[in-house]
Amino acid sequence: MSDHALSAARPRLRLPSVPGVAIVLVALAVVFALISPNFLSTGNLSNILVQSVILLLLALPMTLIIMTEGLDLSMGAVLTLASLVLALTVVSTQSLVLGLASAVGVGLAFGFVNGWLVSALRIPPFVATLGTLGVAQGLALIVSDGQSVVGIPRFVRLVYSGETAGIPNPILIGAAFYALFHVLLYHTKFGVYIRALGGNRDALTLAGVKWQRMLIAVYMLGGAMAGFAALLMTARMNAGHPTAAIGMEFDAIAAVALGGTSFERGNGWIFGTLLGVLTVGILRNGLNLMAVPSSAQVACIGALVIFALFLDGMRSRKP
Amino acid sequence: MSTASDIAAPGARFHLSKDVVQIVYRLLAAGLLCLLLSVLTDSFLSMNNILNVLRQASLLFFLASGLTLVILTGGLDLSIGANIGLSACLAATAIKATGSPALGTLVGLGVGTLVGICNGLMVAKLRIPSFIATYGMLWVLHGVTYYYMAGETIHGFPPGFRQIGSGYFLGIPIPVYLMLGFLAAGTFFAQRTVWGQQIYAIGANPVAARLCGIPVDRRLILVYAFSGAMAGVASLVFLARLNSAEGDVGEAMTLPAIAAVLIGGASLFGGVGTVFGTFVGALILTLVLNGMNLLAVNASWQPLVTGVIVVLAVWLDMIGRRRT
Amino acid sequence: MRAAVKSPPAPEVLEEKPDLGTPLLELKGISKQFPGVKALDDVSFAIWPGEVHMLLGENGAGKSSLMKCLCGAYQADAGEYFHKGEKVEIRTPADAKKLGIAVIFQEFSLVPYLDIAQNIFLGREFKSRVPGLLDRRRLYAEAQKVLDRIGLEVDPRTKVHTLGVAQQQMVEIAKALSQDASILVMDEPTAALSDRETERLFAVMRQLQAKGTAIVYISHRMAEVFALGDRITVLRDGKNVGRAIPGETSPDQLVRMMVGRNVDMSYPRNFRAPGEVVLELKDLSATNGIADINLVVRAGEIVGLCGLVGSGRTEVARAVFGADAVTSGEVRVFGRVKTGGPDLSAAEGIALIPESRKTEGLALIRTVSDNLAVAGLPKLFPNHLFSPGRARRSAEELIKRLRIATPSPNQSVGLLSGGNQQKVVIGKWLAAGARLFIFDEPTRGIDVGAKSEIFALIDQLVGEGAAVLMISSEQAEIVHVCDRAYVMRGRRIVGELSRSELSEENIVRMGMHDE
Repeated sequence: MSDHALSAARPRLRLPSVPGVAIVLVALAVVFALISPNFLSTGNLSNILVQSVILLLLALPMTLIIMTEGLDLSMGAVLTLASLVLALTVVSTQSLVLGLASAVGVGLAFGFVNGWLVSALRIPPFVATLGTLGVAQGLALIVSDGQSVVGIPRFVRLVYSGETAGIPNPILIGAAFYALFHVLLYHTKFGVYIRALGGNRDALTLAGVKWQRMLIAVYMLGGAMAGFAALLMTARMNAGHPTAAIGMEFDAIAAVALGGTSFERGNGWIFGTLLGVLTVGILRNGLNLMAVPSSAQVACIGALVIFALFLDGMRSRKP
Repeated sequence: MSTASDIAAPGARFHLSKDVVQIVYRLLAAGLLCLLLSVLTDSFLSMNNILNVLRQASLLFFLASGLTLVILTGGLDLSIGANIGLSACLAATAIKATGSPALGTLVGLGVGTLVGICNGLMVAKLRIPSFIATYGMLWVLHGVTYYYMAGETIHGFPPGFRQIGSGYFLGIPIPVYLMLGFLAAGTFFAQRTVWGQQIYAIGANPVAARLCGIPVDRRLILVYAFSGAMAGVASLVFLARLNSAEGDVGEAMTLPAIAAVLIGGASLFGGVGTVFGTFVGALILTLVLNGMNLLAVNASWQPLVTGVIVVLAVWLDMIGRRRT
Repeated sequence: MRAAVKSPPAPEVLEEKPDLGTPLLELKGISKQFPGVKALDDVSFAIWPGEVHMLLGENGAGKSSLMKCLCGAYQADAGEYFHKGEKVEIRTPADAKKLGIAVIFQEFSLVPYLDIAQNIFLGREFKSRVPGLLDRRRLYAEAQKVLDRIGLEVDPRTKVHTLGVAQQQMVEIAKALSQDASILVMDEPTAALSDRETERLFAVMRQLQAKGTAIVYISHRMAEVFALGDRITVLRDGKNVGRAIPGETSPDQLVRMMVGRNVDMSYPRNFRAPGEVVLELKDLSATNGIADINLVVRAGEIVGLCGLVGSGRTEVARAVFGADAVTSGEVRVFGRVKTGGPDLSAAEGIALIPESRKTEGLALIRTVSDNLAVAGLPKLFPNHLFSPGRARRSAEELIKRLRIATPSPNQSVGLLSGGNQQKVVIGKWLAAGARLFIFDEPTRGIDVGAKSEIFALIDQLVGEGAAVLMISSEQAEIVHVCDRAYVMRGRRIVGELSRSELSEENIVRMGMHDE
């Protein structure tokens, strides 16, 4: 409203999104530490980190997708399918590389279809990915014939359970992908255009940027990451299971929303997503320690997300 | 002043409303499907199978009819499947605890409606986009239901209650009568009441609707409440039919319900669609799934086919819109 | 079609000085047609290096369309472009960019959650030595340079959405400047700026001029025209109506050129003695920015609300209708204080015919009959039961009464011409039994014949005792149709003109008056 006051611009900066998720995170940690003495043990803290990595791998690309005013509801189903394909490939070829390549390939293919539906056919993202969710879920049942794929070789399991230089592998993988996405969002053209895709596509058109391909690339990135997550998931479960990651996209969307990334105007940040992932991780871990069943955890997360969206709406309605 | 569009097109007098034409096409498609299936399989034309198709279609229709109104306003309700779960489990508990089917029915309908009202409040008052608000609600309901049931199953209901799911009247399953009843009621509401007309207007242009004095917020809440209530109805029929309640009842119903509405000709962008169209859509989808079943196609293909149908239907709608 | 007769060339036209050499950019015979409107009709103009060319005209005269053709956002239907004497094509924004044309848009082309520097260099990012990465240091250094040049004292790392309107406008200017364009097009760049920022912008413009940059400058402010302009082109109704040199003309002369004579347009109007007060605003302020609005509309009266686009006219209409919330003061309708939203307004007999028919007035995918019924549903069907037959009869009645040209009530309203669409919007309020009508630009995008019909209709309404508040950017309409008019500037009412004082010159002077 004010078109004066150069000074007025500063204080408004960055106030809204930072504290929310950080406060929730700390508050949860304190509560759980008080309730459950095990919570603060090194073993448990490391456990939280390790268990959060798969979620992080999905939440990172989900952040970018949501920043383009999009959504990917198919991620959990694609992860499940990729995990099965990986398991089948690894069991038959005994090659980790081939297995990973097939999983990432499945992810990329679904990502491309999602992106193409959204970008070229202009189908609203939530329906397009809801449709591909059904397709991926069906394919998962078909390739597995409804059975778990077992007999995963040890070298695959080591990806999840092994350590490198005393640090659990998943933590290293998570850190590497976090760094990659940080660079992608803040230090490349791609990152700049992602914000513009959500914020003002006309600005991109006027600047002569072919953004349609960028939009497809964002969804393909989501698919590829589901492929990488499939490796960790398979290694962790020591099997490929046809319903393994159903609904996992919800945890990812929850983490992104909790992290303060908005569903409108290209407003998002990757560190918030990390905090969001940790919040979901701590919530689940703490509730586990308190022997709260997984179902109630889902309800808690759902309620948190609606609350986060409500705050998001309040924020964006203030001009 | 005369411009090109002012001149009446020849044959305009025999104008058939677009809705009617669309539905005729869809009925033809359903007829073709029946023909195809009766040629391809021996069992399709058996009375048993036909009644089975109708019963399955009725379950789908309960959900899809409520969803139709939501989609008419340009929204979406992803929580209906999970809503069935919670409504069914709470209704089952009520029946078990009191032995009164009436009370159970009340609980089932009440819970469903209440969930719908919450959705409506989130969409209308908090201005959360409907697909994301109801998606959050889906997981809240899912979690609450599973927590409440803790993996248990509630089963064994009074025979009187079970009639609404598995009973017959004049050789036709009761749910089919219910379906026809709701079809009539839904069509009447959408086509023959002021509120129904206002719902179409909201979907066609929400800004214009508000600026011509339609209380948009209240109508939206009504529509989501109705969608929730229909999930409650579906939960009761499920309960009566299965004679047991589990947390995951109805979970896989959301995508087919969306598919049925879209096949029925409703547009995700709002303002276009009819309850009768959705009825035909539910029939077509059920025929496809039933046919796959009869042709011994693995049930695993069902979500895949449904997913493809959803995307195709939206795409066709987009093409249709771009042409006008 | 009753063709609008071309007015004879205005006598004020001054011939260009012939000794300037080849123009940097020359446009010849540019035309652009939109459905129902000829936005540009055979417009020619030329610009030489180092000069500021002012583009003048009323709202809708074609300035913005011309600018959009110039930058490749629109493609002209006819006409030629010459760059330094050579024929060129401008079909996309990229073409324009290649010719060194940069545009400062009035509607912002900024991305809210990118910072100032990223916005300035959007699409022209600096590559770092590491492949794929951006050189952020260079980005902020370059951005700082541009900001220093225009004197915007804000950190280039500031996200654009946290800036005020004026600062966003400055960023928009910085974005165009950073392109080192040889031709800079500015669309009312000072509209949102404070005096200090305006001064700074003018200083930068003088620097650019000295370096040989050509500037096309669109403005509504007379003082700017004379302070900055080297040459003036006046547009009216999409046509060139005059060229002038600031030293050889006067503001009055320019206003006369902009307003012109009106040709072949009849305004059916019977003036009557006004009745009781229907609408009264007392010190009304609202969340949309209008402040201390006082006005009165009586039954049988058409009251004009004029001023430039953005002066707050539409906002007054929305506040009265309850679409935007009132913060202080009161709205009295039929003597009672009115509160509540659009649903209550409609129930009380207030009608809003909004500025944008297609996005706010009609459901384009629905039928004429549906659209005619939608506002009057509660009145037509008091028992809440809808009857298609009754709706159809009511629609047929209205179609006859308003002479809406449609093959059938079941025609999609999107297929009608602009004039007939507008009649449908009016018709839906007749069905609702409205008695106070607020028209916002009732004749926008409508051809001449349909305009007369709309005015005949409005006259008929007030003849039947309705009260009308009419917003229009076409002064001629206000002058011929209104009993009285209020003039707005800066979201306030700056004056009232009685029937005898109503003239286009008075309206333009009052609305554009320089502080």
